[in-house]
Amino acid sequence: MSPRKSKPSRHILPREKGAAPLDVVIAVMAFLAAIALGASLVANRTAEGWRAGLAGRLTVQILPPDSGAPQPALERETNAALAVLRNTDGIVHAAPLSQDETMKLVEPWLGKGTLVSDLPLPRLIDATILPGARVDLATLRKRLKSAAPDSVLDDHTHWLAQLRGLADAVIWSAYGILALIAVATAATVAFATRAGLQAHHEIVALLHQMGAHSGFIARAFDRHYLLATLVAALAGAGAAALLFVTAGSLEYVGVEPVSFLPPLTLHLKELAWLAAVPAGAGLIAWVTARLSVMAALREIY
Amino acid sequence: MVRFENVGMRYGPGPEVLRDVTFILEAGSFTFLTGPSGAGKTTLLKLMYLAEPPSRGLITLFGEDLATAKRSAFPGLRRRIGVVFQDFRLLDHLSAFENVSLPLRLSGGRDDDYRQDVEELLTWVGLGDRMHAPPPTLSGGEQQRVAIARAVVGRPDLLLADEPTGNVDPEIGQRLIRLFSELNRLGTTVLIATHDRGLIEQARAKEMRLVDGRLVELRTQRN
Repeated sequence: MSPRKSKPSRHILPREKGAAPLDVVIAVMAFLAAIALGASLVANRTAEGWRAGLAGRLTVQILPPDSGAPQPALERETNAALAVLRNTDGIVHAAPLSQDETMKLVEPWLGKGTLVSDLPLPRLIDATILPGARVDLATLRKRLKSAAPDSVLDDHTHWLAQLRGLADAVIWSAYGILALIAVATAATVAFATRAGLQAHHEIVALLHQMGAHSGFIARAFDRHYLLATLVAALAGAGAAALLFVTAGSLEYVGVEPVSFLPPLTLHLKELAWLAAVPAGAGLIAWVTARLSVMAALREIY
Repeated sequence: MVRFENVGMRYGPGPEVLRDVTFILEAGSFTFLTGPSGAGKTTLLKLMYLAEPPSRGLITLFGEDLATAKRSAFPGLRRRIGVVFQDFRLLDHLSAFENVSLPLRLSGGRDDDYRQDVEELLTWVGLGDRMHAPPPTLSGGEQQRVAIARAVVGRPDLLLADEPTGNVDPEIGQRLIRLFSELNRLGTTVLIATHDRGLIEQARAKEMRLVDGRLVELRTQRN
């Protein structure tokens, strides 16, 4: 009988069948890491969007007077403020918001209805600064105050700084979570590698005995854990990506988005960033497994 | 090739299993290691194939004093030694072919380079039709032949065998001794630990006898 020509297995370690507990743990951690990373991307995009939307914009509020006829006084001060703005160098556009536009702005917080329409709302003037132009805001504020005593000039810097601070807090919290997950992943893989070394002790001892270099034996282990981690982390990050895609599609199934919160969905480019999770997990697993095996082999004569 | 000087060995706090063992194995020699069970034959082999450090004494292997040799040199020394373990120590998830080719693979060889040699060797030890079978499906004798083929495939400078013919029938046993002799003729130093008097008489080689951890006899079989 002629020998059968079959391609020899390249696996020095036996392949484990089915999902090991390590795979499940890695998949869950990759899922959480991808959620944290996605949240940081949403926070960053939202903060950038707000900043870009408000850059070069000024808002002047004309507050309703405490006494007297509110409407004529509001109109008078609005016109006076408009005149000041239109006569200021560097401001290319200034226009008051209509009553309907103002109502829409407060709608997410106060809702709709006659009760809201009866409230004494301020008049808002939206002004645009010529890109690159410098407007002396302190002087402008004084001129507005003298022309319209109930006016308040808002250049949004305070509001943007608060939003940026909130976004930064979310981003750094996400980074912290990612760091913790990385440490937990490394600890899990180190534990699994030690267990693997124990389980395959006879194979390791034989290879060592036959003159295998530590690097050869370590490679068998680090490849094993690299592949297992990559597959598990891909599953976890994939599930998170699916969650973000689903979150962006909720309005199609009748779930109304909360208008003052950013949508928890990711753009295609941002979804691609989630691929960093399995890549990072694989790298951590590879390095941890290798270091663990090399350390264990140094103990053998 | 191998030099032991006043070598003693104990496992942990236990009694010495080898005491003041001194001998020299000349390059190209063929030697039997005999003695009753528990005399320390396997321990002596373990010291020679660098599985354990001695508790005391000096061991020189291929001209290297093991007490002063760098640890990084050990893999290279181990690759020059072929070992037939008493319990075979085959990898169950690999085929007979893959087990035998393992030393060549560890030396950086590629499948295509050694495939023919490995197949010929397996055929020579009577396993031509079982070379793709995993060890658990082989009989004890077949596993022993795979273990022997693995030990000799790389033409080691030193071959150490612990009861290599214990599980095979006399005909295969003679064939294996011829294999060892052929390897010895090509320059390999051979040391075989055995209880088999027939084997010793057939090979007419030098004999080292261990009793109670001491090397008590050193003689050469005469015709």
